[in-house]
Amino acid sequence: MMIMSAVDSTFFTLNEVGTLIWQAADGCTPLSDIVTRRICLEFEVDPDQAGRDAEQFVSDLSQHGILLVSEHPILPASPGAP
Amino acid sequence: MSPASQLDAVAIEIGGMAIALHTQDPRFRALLENRYAGFIKTPRNPQFEFEVELFEPAETMRADEDVQVRLERGEWLLRRGDFQARWDAKAGRGRIRQSRNPYAIDSVLRIVHTLILARQGGFLVHAASAIRGGRAFLFAGVSGGGKTTISRLAPSDATLLTDEISYVRRDGDAYRACGTPFAGELARVGENLSAPLSTLFLLEKGLENRIEPVAEAEAVRLLLRNILFFAEDSELVNLVFRSACEFVQRIPVRRLIFVPDERVWAIIR
Repeated sequence: MMIMSAVDSTFFTLNEVGTLIWQAADGCTPLSDIVTRRICLEFEVDPDQAGRDAEQFVSDLSQHGILLVSEHPILPASPGAP
Repeated sequence: MSPASQLDAVAIEIGGMAIALHTQDPRFRALLENRYAGFIKTPRNPQFEFEVELFEPAETMRADEDVQVRLERGEWLLRRGDFQARWDAKAGRGRIRQSRNPYAIDSVLRIVHTLILARQGGFLVHAASAIRGGRAFLFAGVSGGGKTTISRLAPSDATLLTDEISYVRRDGDAYRACGTPFAGELARVGENLSAPLSTLFLLEKGLENRIEPVAEAEAVRLLLRNILFFAEDSELVNLVFRSACEFVQRIPVRRLIFVPDERVWAIIR
């Protein structure tokens, strides 16, 4: 999968694990759950290493404004909200 | 193009394809001339022309809106949060409405070139490329895979075409790689040169420098993962798929496993 930053038009080509994280990042599921319940089940990876790599990955994307990292769930805006 | 209309135009030639951008705003013309230095041509006979209308930041549309590219009543519609464009490919003319953000015009140019190349057997690909010894080499890989690193390590006798977006043109039964002004992390515009394409390397950082063969089906799959294409158009998507298959049949695709230091360039040939 390839994604493009709307901020600076930077492209990111994602591997299979990156694609899984991107698609699972719904604003509610913690990254640790994505790692343990998806990545570790679908790929042969060391859980600790997978966790570190996932954190680095989302950090890189967030620095380009592609992904928002939050300590709390990010609720979708309600219809009609400003 | 009439001499009068040349006055408000900046022509940007990438891959031998000149696109003239007309704008009444001298500051924006200066921005274009600076951003695309090395790719600016006299706007005498461009293949394509766009009128550019700028809107103020206060009017900015949704910044996180996905890019949309579709054909509607014979015109291509290109849209993202910071631009809207219409382009009649047959007439060679179009109109862009965008913010002053230079990334917006970058994106429009990239999209237009992907549409042009799709019918010519070429494509834009998320890859670095360089010329060495009269031949061009492509370096593709996932983000973090080494495109910037391999570009930074290029020896003095290699000419960097881009560290971010490579331009691949069909040239009879062969292909040429052309320089682009689309820079990545190196923030260095490529040279406006081209050369016959020799090899596509798929990058992978490792503990030693070595080159491995890649099976044809795998090569097509990995090449497709890196090709830029935005249009929701089944005909063109099929053409791009066919172009990727034909490319892999004609150009060697190899996996380049490398240690990130300059010695890697000793095995690139």
